[in-house]
Amino acid sequence: MGDSAYSFSLTTFSRTGKLLQIEYALNAVANGRTALGIAATDGVVIATDKKFGSSLVDASQVRKVEKITDGSGFVYAGVGPDYRVLVRKARKTAQAYFREYRETMPVGQLVKSTASVMQEYTQSGGVRPFGVSLLVAGMDGDGVPRLFQVDPSGAYFGWKATAIGKGYVNANNFLEKRYQEDMELEDAIHTALLTLREGFEGEMNGHNIEVGVVSKNDGKFRLLTPEQIQDYLDEAN
Amino acid sequence: MSILEYNGAAIIGMAGKDCVGIASDNRLGIQYQTVAMDFKKIFKMNDRLFVGLAGLATDVQTLDQLLRFRMSLYELREEREMTPRVFTNLLSNMLYEKRFGPYFCEPIIAGLDEKGAPHLATMDLIGAQALAKDFVVAGTCEGNLYGMCETLWKPDMDKEVLFETLAQALLASVDRDALSGWGGVVHIITKEGVISRELKGRQD
Amino acid sequence: MFGSSLVIGDDILDIGSHKFDAGRTDQRAIGSGAMIPARLALGEPGQFDVPDVPDPAHFCRNNFASACGNGDQGQSVKFAKGTTTLAFKFDGGIIVSVDSRSTMGAYIASGTVKKVIEINPFLLGTMAGGAADCSFWERNLGTQCRMYELRNKKRITVAAASKLLANTMNSYRGYGLSMGTMITGWDGTGPQLYYVDNDGTRLHGRYFSVGSGSTYAYGVLDTYYRTDLTVDEAIDLGKRAIYHACHRDAMSGSINNLYHVTRDGWVKIHAIDVNDMHYEYLEEKRNAMASS
Repeated sequence: MGDSAYSFSLTTFSRTGKLLQIEYALNAVANGRTALGIAATDGVVIATDKKFGSSLVDASQVRKVEKITDGSGFVYAGVGPDYRVLVRKARKTAQAYFREYRETMPVGQLVKSTASVMQEYTQSGGVRPFGVSLLVAGMDGDGVPRLFQVDPSGAYFGWKATAIGKGYVNANNFLEKRYQEDMELEDAIHTALLTLREGFEGEMNGHNIEVGVVSKNDGKFRLLTPEQIQDYLDEAN
Repeated sequence: MSILEYNGAAIIGMAGKDCVGIASDNRLGIQYQTVAMDFKKIFKMNDRLFVGLAGLATDVQTLDQLLRFRMSLYELREEREMTPRVFTNLLSNMLYEKRFGPYFCEPIIAGLDEKGAPHLATMDLIGAQALAKDFVVAGTCEGNLYGMCETLWKPDMDKEVLFETLAQALLASVDRDALSGWGGVVHIITKEGVISRELKGRQD
Repeated sequence: MFGSSLVIGDDILDIGSHKFDAGRTDQRAIGSGAMIPARLALGEPGQFDVPDVPDPAHFCRNNFASACGNGDQGQSVKFAKGTTTLAFKFDGGIIVSVDSRSTMGAYIASGTVKKVIEINPFLLGTMAGGAADCSFWERNLGTQCRMYELRNKKRITVAAASKLLANTMNSYRGYGLSMGTMITGWDGTGPQLYYVDNDGTRLHGRYFSVGSGSTYAYGVLDTYYRTDLTVDEAIDLGKRAIYHACHRDAMSGSINNLYHVTRDGWVKIHAIDVNDMHYEYLEEKRNAMASS
């Protein structure tokens, strides 16, 4: 690689001091399906729109919310295949951490290490940045709910609630109005579904969205089944 | 003679009620020649965690430096203190990494966990862990130490009784071992802080 | 030889009730252990079972290294291996000073071993190496010396006594006996000191130290030894040398037993815990530093 004419990083500064590749990556994210997350007092919820270009796609074969450790999971907005690379790397890092310390990798550490990977892809030769933003939801042994966003640049932020992807501006406005400090997980799940519905084209059901939850009850991250999602949707009506 | 017995050592870790203690002798020898009577074998990793290293002196010091390096890095990265359990696993892994060219050290780990309960562990020189509720021992007079600890240990000792028990067990054991002794040191770890005392032992 | 043909009773009576007859024509070589009747002469060559092979010494060396003086690894026989013993002549007689530790590997088997063997009121032997070998052969030497006295109506010289032991050592050379001993006493020629070991070595000298801690003791002796020491100074030197050896040598320690040999025989001066000596000398060092 080293001596090749193309071994320099594609992410180079423009004359105005911008890293255009990163901005383009953010555009790819902004074109992606909306994903959002809310941290409640006793848990965290992340959810995403899972609509496809064709009605012939078998939605049950597509996963957008992924479990990483026992207590944490990812959701994304942007380029799907890029996301799967990050999921694989994050899972491997978490297992290496567990192998070394016999303790589950804390969410904060998971975010840091994933962000490092994404940053590395903005500076290395022969690669391009990841076309995804991540939402990381999880809970450590201390039982504090945590929600993070990681961007293609490798920048990461902690949120009480946030949204990424196509409808993120409207969703964030909605969340700002609806978010309450003393919100409990059940409320948060309803709020998440309501927010998602705001920008949703067509009828929402248990199959065209995905929801991941981590609750203080057991500290475990889990995906809601289509039936469970449908129940929440029915409750709201 | 085993390389683990080249320099001589006696270390005990012992649990009390809401406290845990660790004690060692002071001798550094080269086989039967006593070279120093103030050799450090117990290292403070943080306010609630101590590790004692018995075995080849050069590896004792190297391992201490390596452990402190890893601890510091962990604390900076994770912005929290390492728990005794995590430390035990870390050390165990570090030792097994050198499976085919080991550090000639048998560690004793004594600390208080997040809940303030005693954590005691020991392992062999390639990292096989053994956790204990009562006491752990290591060194050239391991047999003597086991005998004394089995006799003197009682459940739920307070910090003063724990100190006395550790001191008596250590001094009596090293008096029957040619390779350890020449005084000792005891650290009692409590939630309120660490009490460290030096022991006057036989000088032969 | 002829020992086995004798009846014990006869001989004992002979020794006890008849005056020594210099004109006796039997073949006894005076003072030789070989001439003592078989059942009295414990340890006479031929009394021990040896491996039934052409070269028993060679066999012992190769197969019983653990029980022999040369092999130090994994020994199963209790040996007072690590030791510090010393003895020196001076104008006031002889000082014999020893430690009392007995070890099996690194384990301290005993701290109260008597390493000075009182052969008779005028003879002392020290013990280094195998405890069993030393005790047995120095006891045997006592027997031989007593026999000499009874036959010759005079005390044996230290030179002769040590030579008896050296001869015994020589007769078992290569069998793996382990001993390094000093034979001291006061005879017609004055205070005498000999070193005898299992190789058959026999040395005459002014001062010796034997055992694992001997190098440390020699350090002190070489520095402070003078022939014109007073008795008190000599006792302190003997004590100090043992202390320093016990302090640095892991295999030496516990109690310092010290004897003084005079014209009138030996006297036991003291038995002091070397740990007490440590603090005594520490105090002394502090005072010296304070006053300088």
